[in-house]
Amino acid sequence: MAVKAPDKPKKIKSRSRTMTILAQYFHNKMAVFCAGVIVALILLAIFAPIFSPYGYDKVDYTALRALPSREHIFGCDVSGRDIFILLCYSLRNALIVGACSIVVQLIVGLTIGGVAGYCGGRVDGILGRIIDIMYGFPTFLFNLILVMVLGRSLFTISLAIGLTSWAPMARLVRGQVITVKQSDYVEAGRALGSSNFRILFHYILPNCLGPIVICMCQGIPSAMFAESGMSLVGLGIKPPAPSWGGLISAGQGYILSYPHMILYPALSFAIVILAFSYVGDGLRDAFDPRQSK
Amino acid sequence: MFKYFLKRLGYIVLAVFIISALTFGLLQLAPGNYLDTQRILQQSYSSATMSDQMRAEWEKFYGMDKPALQRYADFLINAVQLKFGPSYQYSNQRIEDIIARTLPISARLAFSAILVALVIGIPLGIIAAIRQNKILDRVVVLISMIGSSVPAYVMAIACTYFLGLKLKWLPTIGWGEPKHYIMPIIALSLGPIGTVTKYTRGTLVETLNQEYIRVARAKGGDFIRVTFKHALRNSLIPLITVVGPMLASLTVGTVFVENMYAIPGLGQYYASAAVNRDYPLVMATTLIFAIMVMGMNLLVDMVHAFLDPRVRVSLTTKGGK
Repeated sequence: MAVKAPDKPKKIKSRSRTMTILAQYFHNKMAVFCAGVIVALILLAIFAPIFSPYGYDKVDYTALRALPSREHIFGCDVSGRDIFILLCYSLRNALIVGACSIVVQLIVGLTIGGVAGYCGGRVDGILGRIIDIMYGFPTFLFNLILVMVLGRSLFTISLAIGLTSWAPMARLVRGQVITVKQSDYVEAGRALGSSNFRILFHYILPNCLGPIVICMCQGIPSAMFAESGMSLVGLGIKPPAPSWGGLISAGQGYILSYPHMILYPALSFAIVILAFSYVGDGLRDAFDPRQSK
Repeated sequence: MFKYFLKRLGYIVLAVFIISALTFGLLQLAPGNYLDTQRILQQSYSSATMSDQMRAEWEKFYGMDKPALQRYADFLINAVQLKFGPSYQYSNQRIEDIIARTLPISARLAFSAILVALVIGIPLGIIAAIRQNKILDRVVVLISMIGSSVPAYVMAIACTYFLGLKLKWLPTIGWGEPKHYIMPIIALSLGPIGTVTKYTRGTLVETLNQEYIRVARAKGGDFIRVTFKHALRNSLIPLITVVGPMLASLTVGTVFVENMYAIPGLGQYYASAAVNRDYPLVMATTLIFAIMVMGMNLLVDMVHAFLDPRVRVSLTTKGGK
C-alpha cells in the first residue's frame, strides 16, 4: 500500500484534488481490481436476468436440485430454479437495498450530524446524545422490529436498515463540520453575509465530502449483510424473490447431499462483500494518504 | 472520574428507557399479532379456529385487555424488578427464566470469541507490522480482510462443511459438551480476529514510526526489545476501544450462528420471537441486548481511561465528548 517514490509527490501536487485521489486510488491494485469486479457484478445484476431464459419464480419439475451442468452452471435449487439466476436477482436486490439504505442513512446522518456540528451548544448536546444512544442500539434487532411494523418489501427493508445505521455517518459529519467550521474561509463567508444554510451546504459540506464518501462505501456491504441476515432469520425479502440469506438458509439442509445449493450462494456472497470492503478501504487510503501505511 | 461514570450511567438509563418506549410503540403499531399468526398457522393445518371466548381469555391472561399506556407502565414497573411475565410462544415459561437460561450461553460464546480473537489477532498483527509490506504482511492483511468482511454465517457454513463433514473432526449437531462450543466459536471469532489484526497492525506501525522508537533504536536497543517493550505497550492500549463495538457486532453474529447450529442461546430465542411476534420476549431481549452493549461500551471506556491518563483528562475536562 505504501508507495516509496521520493519524486512522485511533486508531480502529483500540481494535479487537482480529485485527480490526486484517483491517482492514489489507482496505485492500489487490489482496490482497482475489486472496483472492476463490482462494475462487472452490477452489469451482471442488470443484464443477466434480462437475457436469461430462466426466472426466479418459474418452477421446473424436471430439474429439482439439479447438479451443475451446461444448462444450469450453478445447478438448481429445491424447486428447480436456476441458482445462477437466483444469485443475479439476489445481487440485484442486495444492491438496491444497499443503495437505498445508504441514501436514507445519508439524509438522516447529514441532517442530524450537520445541524449538531454547525449549531453547537445546547442543540449539539441533545443531538450528540441522540447519536450516542443510536450507537448503543441493538441495530439488527431493531431492523427486525421495523420490518415487522412496516412490512416486508425492498423499500421497507432498505428504510429499516437506513434508519438504524445512520449513527456513524452522523458522528462523522458532526466531527467534520466542527473541524471545518473553524476555518478561515467559513469566517470569510460569514463576513460576506452568507446565510447559515449557504454556509452549511456551500462551504462546509463539500469540504467534508471525502470521509462521507468513504463512510457510504463501507455502509453498502454492511447493509447487504444486514439484509441477508434478515432473510436468514426469516424476516427479509419476501419469497419467491431471492435473497442471499434465504438461499443460504435454504441450502443449509442439503449441505451433505447437494453442496452446490449452499456453496455458490455462500461463496458469491463472500466475494461481493469482500470486493466492496476492498473498494471502501482503497478509497479511505486514497482520500487520506496519511492513514495508509 | 467517578462523576463522569455516574453521568454515563445516567445516560444509559435514559437510553434504555427510550429504547423500551420505541420498541413498545413500534410493536403496538405493527399490523397483526401473535394470535393472528397462530390463527393463520392453524388454518393451514385444520379448519378449527380460536373461539371468541378463548381469545378473550388469552388477552386477559397477558393483560392485553388494558389500554396500551397502562400496559407500558406495567411493563416498566415489572421490568425494573426483572419480571417480564410469561412469553406468548412458551406460555408455561417466564421470560426471566428463559433469559437466565439462555443468556449465559450467548455470553459465553461472545466472550470466548473475543478472547480467541485477541489471542490470535494480536500476534498476527504484530507479525504483520514487523514484516511491513513484505509477503508475510500482505498475506496476513489479506486474511484479516477476509475475516473481517465475510459474514459469520458464511464462516459457519465453511466450518460445518470442512471441519464437520469432510474432516469429521467436530460434531455438527448437539449441544452441552465443550466440543460443541468449538465450531460456533471459530465461526464467530474469525470476524473479530480480522478486526483485531488490522487494528494491531495499524497502531503498531504508527508507533514504530514515532521519534522515541528511533531514539531507542539509535541508542542501541535491539529490534525485538524495542518493538515489544517500547512500541507494543503503547500501541495495545487503544485496542481496548475496538472491543466495545466488536461485542455489539457479536450480539448480531450470535443470532445467526445460534440459528445455524441450533444452539439454545438468547439470539436464537430472539429470532424466533421476532418471527412469531412473541412481543413480551422481543421487548425483554431487545432491552437485555441494549443494556449489554451499552454497559460493555461504558466498561471499555472506563478501562481505557484507567490505562491512559490522556484519555482520563480529556474525558473529565470536556464532559465526556
